[in-house]
Amino acid sequence: MKLEIGNIFIKDIQFAAEAKIADGVLYVDKAALEKVVLADETIKSVTFDIAKPGESVRITPVKDVIEPRVKVEGRGGIFPGVIAKVDTVGSGKTHVLKGMAVVTAGKIVGFQEGVIDMSGPGAAYTPFSQTLNLVMVCEPVDGLKQHDYEKAVRLAGLRVAVALGELGRNVTPDETKVYETCGIKEGIEKYPDLPRVAYVQMLQSQGLLHDTYVYGVDAKKTLSTILCPTETMDGAIISGNCVSACDKNPTYVHENNPVVEDLFAQHGKTLNFVCQIITNENVYLADKQRSSDWTAKMCRMLDLDGVIVSQEGFGNPDTDLIMNCKKIEAEGVKTVIITDEYAGQDGKSQSLADADASADAVVTGGNANEVVILPKMDKVIGTLDYINKIAGASAETLQPDGSLKVELQVITGATNETGFLKLSAR
Amino acid sequence: MTGRYTVITNNPLVLENLKGRVPVAYRDVSYVELLREVRDQIHKGGKLLTHPLSGSVKPGETPYKSVMLLSGKGDVDERSLDLIENAIQACSKFQRKGPYRPEVDKDFQLVDWTLLEGAIASAGE
Amino acid sequence: MAKLRVVHYINQFFAQIGGEEKADYPAELRAGEVVGPGMALMQKFGDEAEIVATVVCGDSYFNENIDKATADILEMVKSQSPDVFVAGPAFNAGRYGVACGTIAAAVQEQLGIPSVTGMYVENPGADMFKTKIYIVSTKNSAAGMRDAVAKLAPLAVKLGKGERIGASAEEGYIPNGVRVNFFEKERGSARAVKMLIKKLAGKPFETEFPMPVFDRVAPNPPVKDMAHAKIALVTSGGIVPKGNPDHIESSSASHYGEYDITGVMDLTADTFETAHGGYDPVYANADADRVLPVDVLRDLEKEGRIGSLHHLYYATVGNGTAVASAKKFAAEFAKKLKDDGVDAVILTST
Repeated sequence: MKLEIGNIFIKDIQFAAEAKIADGVLYVDKAALEKVVLADETIKSVTFDIAKPGESVRITPVKDVIEPRVKVEGRGGIFPGVIAKVDTVGSGKTHVLKGMAVVTAGKIVGFQEGVIDMSGPGAAYTPFSQTLNLVMVCEPVDGLKQHDYEKAVRLAGLRVAVALGELGRNVTPDETKVYETCGIKEGIEKYPDLPRVAYVQMLQSQGLLHDTYVYGVDAKKTLSTILCPTETMDGAIISGNCVSACDKNPTYVHENNPVVEDLFAQHGKTLNFVCQIITNENVYLADKQRSSDWTAKMCRMLDLDGVIVSQEGFGNPDTDLIMNCKKIEAEGVKTVIITDEYAGQDGKSQSLADADASADAVVTGGNANEVVILPKMDKVIGTLDYINKIAGASAETLQPDGSLKVELQVITGATNETGFLKLSAR
Repeated sequence: MTGRYTVITNNPLVLENLKGRVPVAYRDVSYVELLREVRDQIHKGGKLLTHPLSGSVKPGETPYKSVMLLSGKGDVDERSLDLIENAIQACSKFQRKGPYRPEVDKDFQLVDWTLLEGAIASAGE
Repeated sequence: MAKLRVVHYINQFFAQIGGEEKADYPAELRAGEVVGPGMALMQKFGDEAEIVATVVCGDSYFNENIDKATADILEMVKSQSPDVFVAGPAFNAGRYGVACGTIAAAVQEQLGIPSVTGMYVENPGADMFKTKIYIVSTKNSAAGMRDAVAKLAPLAVKLGKGERIGASAEEGYIPNGVRVNFFEKERGSARAVKMLIKKLAGKPFETEFPMPVFDRVAPNPPVKDMAHAKIALVTSGGIVPKGNPDHIESSSASHYGEYDITGVMDLTADTFETAHGGYDPVYANADADRVLPVDVLRDLEKEGRIGSLHHLYYATVGNGTAVASAKKFAAEFAKKLKDDGVDAVILTST
């Protein structure tokens, strides 16, 4: 499959009466977007705000981050099975509003984390301090259950992203990139001497606030399967995951999966990027067994030489990661895994909740327990309710000068396990 | 599914939702104490059906934990023992947060319940 | 700003006193002198620090008089009130490495002066002391001096100033089990792709997180006839005859002891004690049978349920002792046990 990505560089976002993209500036019509959000009757109200890199702004609690895209040629539409109709995506042409993101924020449950600082020391730990962010905070109608609220905000964010993406349909991209993979036989003929490599992506799939959707299907109800890596660039995978801010994958990360990107960079040069395999991280141990069996089986059937496995989350997924690694290695397929660590605030505890000697090639996104001080920001988008007002925690978290003393855990994307950032540990 | 499983939990919502459906062993104990109780059961031959560190809400943060266990006699299931020992060890590296306000407590109960609910769906009642 | 004061420790060889034949050279303080590798350190220190004194000690002298040598050197170091203490680098010299590790750890723990040394990763001293002090990773011979000093000097300055110490990969010290975050040059996914390409090509690669390794030992078949079996006791709980005649260290033990319990029916507070520094010794000292159950085995012997209790037992301290050392001890005394016709061993820990 072949997909052409046309990047439209967004240099500024402004609110305006007329929505458009002109000279790299995205003009947002607040009223029109409000209608897009309030089309869902369970949402009572929405507020929009803009946060720019370098500003003294803190966004919290962040739910999802989404990059606006639009399908201009080829089958299907962005977020198939969720916003667009079910149809196989990943070929043709897609325009991307590069350099910006839609950030959904707001408290769904009382213990929610997720901090994006647009400046200061915290900014170094989140990729979304570098994007121009259109932040939307949705208020639910009274009495709405957490499940329904999560779903409403998840879908509202995607609808807004699609509406903004649509503005880029007829804009000439500043940069075009082409991504192409081959069929099995074609690849073997074309690159007879290159190792056959796939990307195994583990998707968070444990339950409420821990879900991921593939073409609209709840990942915990799926069997391990194969995707063309370009499918994710058209929003085939979306996030319904609101917990563990530092190592959950927002939709933005799925759209811009760095493993996919970096394997493509080597495709046809040092390796043959065959496909992406997706598998889940269910809590039921027999599900783990089945999913990891299937993943290893597919690696064998595809005659792979090597894979990179990425994880999402803490604890329970460590077991899936190790099971996948062990079984794939046992099939004679060389494996590199990407994880993060919970080594305690002092860095002395055992980092993972599972281990195996076959996992001899590990990339880490760093220790999520490490403590950082986040200075007070002039403006807060969302609410500090969670972080500040937990009875008993205020003395610990909120410092007298207004700064926050927190573990990296609370920062969105800080120890991302797809290798999105440069943070590591030794 | 062979044999009947038990849910060991300290979550009152789980007790309420599963009453009369599946056997529930409710214990009014802390998160780590519940894991220790599960370990004792494994020593007696019980087998884990769900991961003891289910959920991304960390130990020390949520007070609730529910674990599905297949009761058994005889040999200790080594894999279950590995998982539970690692889980108990993991508890010590997280700072205790809270206490939380009462409505947050309900959220913790709900999330723990939904994590278990998925497993029950996989296991069949 | 005033320069940081550094005291430097080296052995007889690097002080150009002599080789093995001079290894019994006692500890000596050379105030105001910069000796041997100290020159290279001084160059690297620049305006930041200076060596105010050098301590020279023979490797044999240090290792054979470990308590006295340590106490004497601590006094010498204290007299110079340094901001930081540097030992070595010892490269792959085993006894020098153990000396550097021992004295650097002692200076840091007892004098509260930050300390650093350098050695080759396979030097036994590295495994023994890497969790106690920073040990810069060096090549396996003095040919790696320039490289060693290039890492040792800046780390010593940082320690002296009390600055934050980065991750092992940044600072060049041997990983000490403490995980420290830092920013890599490339993002994780790019590092993963590079690692995979190396792994596929069969080239060496370095994992960012070494998995904890568990040495699984397959159990021996059960002893068929306990009533005629010769049973021995071995412990890592530090039970030694009162006074600890072999000076087994309270932690990071460098050796083990062999003790005769012929005729001993019961371990008492007057005859045995623990050398272990990792647990509250009160109950072990009151009745060492709690750790090394000689009394119960004598009962079993009397009742005819075991053939006999071996007249020798082996003891070391498990507290922080390097796995490599423990393996070495066990290999030695396991052979002795076999030669003595022991059928089974009860190994007690704490």
